[in-house]
Amino acid sequence: MIDFGSFKARDCGGSTRRSFLRTAATVPLAMRAGLPTPEVIAAAKSRAKAKSVILLWLWGGPSHIDLVDPKPDASMDYRGPFGTIDTRTTGMKFTELLPRMAARSDKFSVIRSMVNSNNGHPGAGTVGVTGFEESPGPVQPNFGAIVAKHRGQDGSLPPFFYVGRGIPRDLPRRIEGYGGGTLGKAYDPFLVSASDRGEVSIPTLKMMPNMSPGRISDRRQLLTQLDEERYRLDAAKVEEWGHKYQSAYGLLTSAEARAAFDLTQESKETRSSYGRSTFGQGCLLARRLAESGVPYVQVNWSEYVETFTPGGDWGWDTHIYNFELLQDRHGPIFDRAYSALLDDMTERGLMEDTLLIAMGEFGRTPRISNRAAREHWNQCYFSIWAGAGVQSGRVIGQSDPKGERPVSRPITPLMAGTTIAELTGVGAQQRAELKVLDGGSVIDELF
Amino acid sequence: MNCFEHRTSNTQRWASNDRTSMFDVGRWMLNVRIGPVLLLILLLVVTDAQAADPIQLTTDGALKRDPRFVGNGAKLVFCYDEGPNLVRMLQMKMDDRSITPVFEDAGNRHNLEPAWSLDGQWIAYTQCTGNLTARLVIHNRAENTDVFITHPGRGGTRSPTFSPDSKTVVYAFAETGPQQLWSVDTAGKNKKQLTEFSGITNWPTFTPDGKTIVFANSRENNYELYAVAADGSNEQRLTENTIMDIRPRVSPDGKRIAFVSTRDGNYEVYVMNLDGSHVQRITTSEERDDYPAWHSNGRQLVTVSERNGEFDLYLFDVEPTHHASEKLSASLDVVSKP
Repeated sequence: MIDFGSFKARDCGGSTRRSFLRTAATVPLAMRAGLPTPEVIAAAKSRAKAKSVILLWLWGGPSHIDLVDPKPDASMDYRGPFGTIDTRTTGMKFTELLPRMAARSDKFSVIRSMVNSNNGHPGAGTVGVTGFEESPGPVQPNFGAIVAKHRGQDGSLPPFFYVGRGIPRDLPRRIEGYGGGTLGKAYDPFLVSASDRGEVSIPTLKMMPNMSPGRISDRRQLLTQLDEERYRLDAAKVEEWGHKYQSAYGLLTSAEARAAFDLTQESKETRSSYGRSTFGQGCLLARRLAESGVPYVQVNWSEYVETFTPGGDWGWDTHIYNFELLQDRHGPIFDRAYSALLDDMTERGLMEDTLLIAMGEFGRTPRISNRAAREHWNQCYFSIWAGAGVQSGRVIGQSDPKGERPVSRPITPLMAGTTIAELTGVGAQQRAELKVLDGGSVIDELF
Repeated sequence: MNCFEHRTSNTQRWASNDRTSMFDVGRWMLNVRIGPVLLLILLLVVTDAQAADPIQLTTDGALKRDPRFVGNGAKLVFCYDEGPNLVRMLQMKMDDRSITPVFEDAGNRHNLEPAWSLDGQWIAYTQCTGNLTARLVIHNRAENTDVFITHPGRGGTRSPTFSPDSKTVVYAFAETGPQQLWSVDTAGKNKKQLTEFSGITNWPTFTPDGKTIVFANSRENNYELYAVAADGSNEQRLTENTIMDIRPRVSPDGKRIAFVSTRDGNYEVYVMNLDGSHVQRITTSEERDDYPAWHSNGRQLVTVSERNGEFDLYLFDVEPTHHASEKLSASLDVVSKP
């Protein structure tokens, strides 16, 4: 089932759907202006090793020590309660929470020396996905926006997707670096979400007031409504408005786009392999989007960092119940979903030209807190890289015996973003022209 | 809400149905002197296959946790993900499988880890009350009143359990360092720290006589199971391996412990005698089996088991172990000495 906004797509069939398609095709749109031409898009693709990027954004700060960088020889107040298991990578152990990933470690590489300049969620989140602090502004573009700007929209699917319940945030505010930044709102991500049952929805359409299957199927009513919406906007926001709704309606009018969202086209075995979780089904949706040619998909583990909070959706911010939540929920869900995605993409031959990254904004304190949990720790954390020419089966970087700081070259989010850019064809010259990722360098150790 | 019961098919069925013929094969093996190793393998397969297929109690597939039989097995209480941001406590009537909320007015607070007192008067559970904060709630069912057990600062209580006399709740909490066991009476009075262990301590469970508490602790680099006298003294280690043994649940007859371990590669449910001997693996799926809880009949365990990515409640038969009673006596003798 696909939930387009506030109604179900399957309820919108037959003459009703055709009526709507005619309507959508006439929606005044001006968003092609200023975007790359098809020739430019083709040239950009030919330079890229990675036709698509999938970033699994582990929002909230997953504990490096309790997952992929265990410290069994550290003292009890550091090492945590989890046993360690061998992986298929010589010299690399994981905790027992990730047995499936351990059995597939020859297919990815782990960086254990990530550092972030910020230790608070929204700020560190912005650094994590843009490479730069939020202030002093202007806020820099998300890595996905850079790829989107360079590649443009090829077909009906937007070039930059967020898969998740919303823009990553903590209780006070969302991260500033979620979207286009200096490149403009036109390069903001397009948000889709998948429920734990694989029901896909497009929240953008829910933003349309009074939207209903009846109204949307009535061409005159819809056009009137759209014109009213546009009339209320000042000139500066018309472009943003047009982009947002063009994308949404473009998806509804395109068989290609509709197919990309329809997880029911997958076999039951494939769907179940990802697990009954929003993150797992989101990973499956990301694979379908990458397979359909979307250049950049960011799968958000959660909308909120808060994990054990009313209304929170189980982010990785485990200030309390760190060990319980990791073994009860986060570890098994991540282990299953990541492994399924890796297997699925490998079997389909997608890893040759898809870059798969998993990381959060920081790690968690190596020293266990007096609440038997772990706090924020930006001075050492991890990321996991696979595909698109990245050498697999390697440990890159090393943390000290307590997991507090790197003892090898620190790897920054700016370096991660620069590596993403290089692999997607955004070379140094293009980055300079776009005025993005200034000063960044590629993580050479990955190749 | 209705759920369905049905016996699940699995790879053991062929052996279970054909046990006689399998023994015939064994006799043939002896006759032709293929060797004792092959016979041993055959016997292990047959023994493993003696358990009936589990009964699937729910079919909705949503993430679940913390099942507990209450009321002599008349009801099954459990928690499940009602949506992406709410854990709700439910109860299933075992006679018709109907499911209703335990608390109709639970609001948007996560409620989890329920414990029922044996006299049926009290419910203790963990309730999320705010950002990164949870408290222990002791609910008086007859009077419909609550007592809230809190500690200063943020943090959360864990894994409450009642003493067999229904007068005391034991739970885990980290107030100023390593997570310890605490106790409080049902009126919310006499809160005190029971243990002074290093590492993380969790999942307390009483023996039926109230003399012994079994729990998990991480001091040996990973979670192992231990038993102590109810006053926190006289500790006895029950498991020893390099990966986790967690969520112990003492059987109603006090002879055995069900628990979860990753010793065979993923979360599986096991049963052992109270002293840690005669470990028996109950679940064998490549997917997760977790949160075991005994039926009051002592012959069945309910689990949350992941099958094809879906989480449902399953009821497993547990074969009796004839070694249990003698080991129980020896174990309690050790634990109860002053």
